[in-house]
Amino acid sequence: MKHNDIQIAICGSAGDGTIAAGDILKRAMARAGYKVIAFDLYPAEIRGFGKCVARVRITTEQAYSLKRHSDVLVSLDDSHAIPHVGEVRDYGAVIYDDNPIARLPEGGHMTAHVRPSQVPYGLSQRQISELATGAGRSRNIVILGYLAGLYGFPVAQFRQVIEAKFRTKAAAVTEGNLRAFDAGFEAGAATFKLDDVVLAPPAHGEEGAKTIMMTGNGAVVRGCLDAGIETFFGYPITPATTIMERLAREMPKRGGRLLQTEDEISAISATLGAGYAGARAATATSGPGLALMVEMLGLGVMAEVPAVVFVSQRGGPSTGMPTKTEQSDLNLAVFGGAGDAQRIVLAPTNVEGCYRCAGKAFELAEAHQTPVIVLMDLYLSNRYETVVPPAANPFAPKGAKTLDKVTAGETYRRYAATADHVSPRTLPGQEGGMHAITGLEHDEFGRPSDQAKVHMAMSAKRHDKLKAAVEHPDLTVCKRFGDEGPVDVGILGWGSNFGEILEAMYATQDEGIRCAAMKVVMLSPLPLERIAAFLADCKEVLVPELNYEGQFANLITGALGRPVTRLTRVTGAPMEVEEILQVVRSLAGARTAA
Amino acid sequence: MAEPHHNVIIGHGSAGNGAATTLRERDPDCRITIINMGSLPFYNRYDLPRVFQDCDDWRDILAHPPSYYDEQRITLRRNSRVVDVDGRARTITFAHNEVMHYDRLLVCAGGRGYLPEELSDYRHLMHGFGSFEAAVSMREALSDGGTVIMLGGDMIGLDLARTLVATGRRVVLVANDYTFWPHRVAADERDGHLHALTHMGIEVRDGAHPIAVEAVGESGSARRLVFEDGATLEGDVVMPFYGLVPSVEFMLRSGVDIERGLLVDPWLRTTDENIWAAGDVCQIWSDEEKAYRFYYGWTNVRVMGEVVARNVTGADETFAGIEDERLRVDEKGHIYSPFWEH
Repeated sequence: MKHNDIQIAICGSAGDGTIAAGDILKRAMARAGYKVIAFDLYPAEIRGFGKCVARVRITTEQAYSLKRHSDVLVSLDDSHAIPHVGEVRDYGAVIYDDNPIARLPEGGHMTAHVRPSQVPYGLSQRQISELATGAGRSRNIVILGYLAGLYGFPVAQFRQVIEAKFRTKAAAVTEGNLRAFDAGFEAGAATFKLDDVVLAPPAHGEEGAKTIMMTGNGAVVRGCLDAGIETFFGYPITPATTIMERLAREMPKRGGRLLQTEDEISAISATLGAGYAGARAATATSGPGLALMVEMLGLGVMAEVPAVVFVSQRGGPSTGMPTKTEQSDLNLAVFGGAGDAQRIVLAPTNVEGCYRCAGKAFELAEAHQTPVIVLMDLYLSNRYETVVPPAANPFAPKGAKTLDKVTAGETYRRYAATADHVSPRTLPGQEGGMHAITGLEHDEFGRPSDQAKVHMAMSAKRHDKLKAAVEHPDLTVCKRFGDEGPVDVGILGWGSNFGEILEAMYATQDEGIRCAAMKVVMLSPLPLERIAAFLADCKEVLVPELNYEGQFANLITGALGRPVTRLTRVTGAPMEVEEILQVVRSLAGARTAA
Repeated sequence: MAEPHHNVIIGHGSAGNGAATTLRERDPDCRITIINMGSLPFYNRYDLPRVFQDCDDWRDILAHPPSYYDEQRITLRRNSRVVDVDGRARTITFAHNEVMHYDRLLVCAGGRGYLPEELSDYRHLMHGFGSFEAAVSMREALSDGGTVIMLGGDMIGLDLARTLVATGRRVVLVANDYTFWPHRVAADERDGHLHALTHMGIEVRDGAHPIAVEAVGESGSARRLVFEDGATLEGDVVMPFYGLVPSVEFMLRSGVDIERGLLVDPWLRTTDENIWAAGDVCQIWSDEEKAYRFYYGWTNVRVMGEVVARNVTGADETFAGIEDERLRVDEKGHIYSPFWEH
């Protein structure tokens, strides 16, 4: 049994403090020097009846995704937790309230469902909370203390995180929760431990403690701030809202401006306006919002205006499943809009990638004078990971290819042909830089023109100027992992589920299958040469993704003509490692048999 | 199609486990639920002394692998304590507030260790031996070559004492009327049996009356036994072995007849036609003695579980205990009890 990798799932009803408990757990363990990946599932409703699940994977070495099986399940509400009992591995633990208030029908208690191979721990959560605090509300903190006492988790870090979490409340609230934690700890320490869940000390000790916890959205915010974002316009939508919420707190401190607009069309319009005016500008939305923005994105492409759009996908189409994850807006992000409106689309695969893509998106938008979409999803937006903050700001200051001075007597050509197809631009108000800007096709001066040769030339310009993006010196546009050279199975992935792909790939290698994986971060323009080289090494190619049609597989087969095996799921939840693993085994087995 | 009978077994010792196995053999379609107050699937309590030998992992003493219960379609309810049985409604209520319906109830709840009233205030300073967890906790409190002070010394305790002595621990037995329980030892045989214990390596203190237990040592982990005459005795752990008391409290409102245990006829039926009992929890009518009596020992208990299951599923079988229940001294001069056989 590995002692360097445990996953704890906490399950309760909205209002039980499930997500808060998971939040404290992951922050405390990260503060203690462990690597942490965490992801919460919560209902669309605010409070009262929906199911919440907080899963926290705690490791001593880098992990890439959540595990299919948890080592420990904590139930704050059996009616929600019982369906998750099967997710607990053999000889893992199930912790539940052994003294619930309500009279339960037959089978309504967790003891009816814990499998013989699992270890049950009954805990009088409410009673302990009431004794410690006078109320039962701190059950979620009691169970954290219990976990710490049972498994020997570091107490000081939990206390620090609890104090930080409640620092804006009255002192009595913090003290009460600390008492609840201590009471739970006492119960955990006194419990005879029967499961085989053991966590070794963090591999990197104090060094590891220098890491910080971030969500994908949090990393985007940090990337925006480090890149010097100046303006943000947005309209709230799950799961992108927290980007605007956090920027609203941070940008004013740095002289930035943020405005909540009346809708998404207004948000993208204002963003393009700010980009045109020379500001580093961004907006954030989800699929339904992006659908509203595509017309204005076309204007950005046509007028060659830099802008950054963060898109966090959720279940669709239409309003769809706002609190469930999906990767089904790829087509919209890459192709959405009228005409040949190619834009840059980046899809980070982890939280650290969200930070880098956010900052680099501003550089790319300026360097190539075009809108850049950073395509995430709910799983990545809300997923917590421990990351090591960069020692120095990795992002270039703004100012790519701006024209400081216009030569006297010369007419400024905003869309002049150049070797790299990017035309020097001036900012509004700059002397001599006056030019027309329009959504109509235009000549080098920006004057409307529908002449064939103008449209041909400008279409080529708008496409060719993006080609250099795939050769970016300081951004991973795609990367290969695993076995070098020819392999039996290659897994091609993008976005949030690449962590599961990596876990599956390493697992197949352990089984003796020659396997490699490639993540593709830049979805538009595609780094086709490098993808083609990877595919050439693969006897079989698997493309797992969280949409119904296999949108990325379509993109690849359309561009390269190489048949691939699709693995598509639209469950609203992340793909399970085991699902990928089974298909890889099957493909490798079929290849061997052949 | 009628719902299959729901047979609920309270207790997961030898009787309850034997009953479940036999029920499944004889009725492939019935629903079986075992209710267990402990955390672990079934293991034989007589295997517990193995924690002083080669057993560190509870999985090593399980009678069946966990998959057995799934294969046999037996629902195992652990950490579950029954607080009430309603014989008329045929429901049981758990301490965790859940209500379960049964068609036939088999009470195999066994007994709990008895502790005299004058020592009950010191329960927290004593170690039990009724479960794997208790056995391991006691082992961890006991240093190599350490001393166990055994009070009373029923046959469960003496079985443990044999292992403790064999594994290099010192056992001091404070003998009294409960020594050799449940055997009834004649007065003229008692000294000989105590001598046999001494011959087995057990130190015997007879006639001393303990009145208190104290925590001593730097961390308070050691124990001192205080006798009525002011004498003291120190050791690592103090363990009471005063025999068993049937666990019947949850049956008080069930409507069945109870004396010390649940009263059953030789077919192991209680006075409620849907409730049966087996093991240390029941007193069985003896035509020979014209009285209800207990039957002890691993073999008796296991056979009772099997008999009750057969009768529940239509057999007509009476229980007869093992024939020779006498405590003996074997050719090595050691105490030997037929209740130790399994």
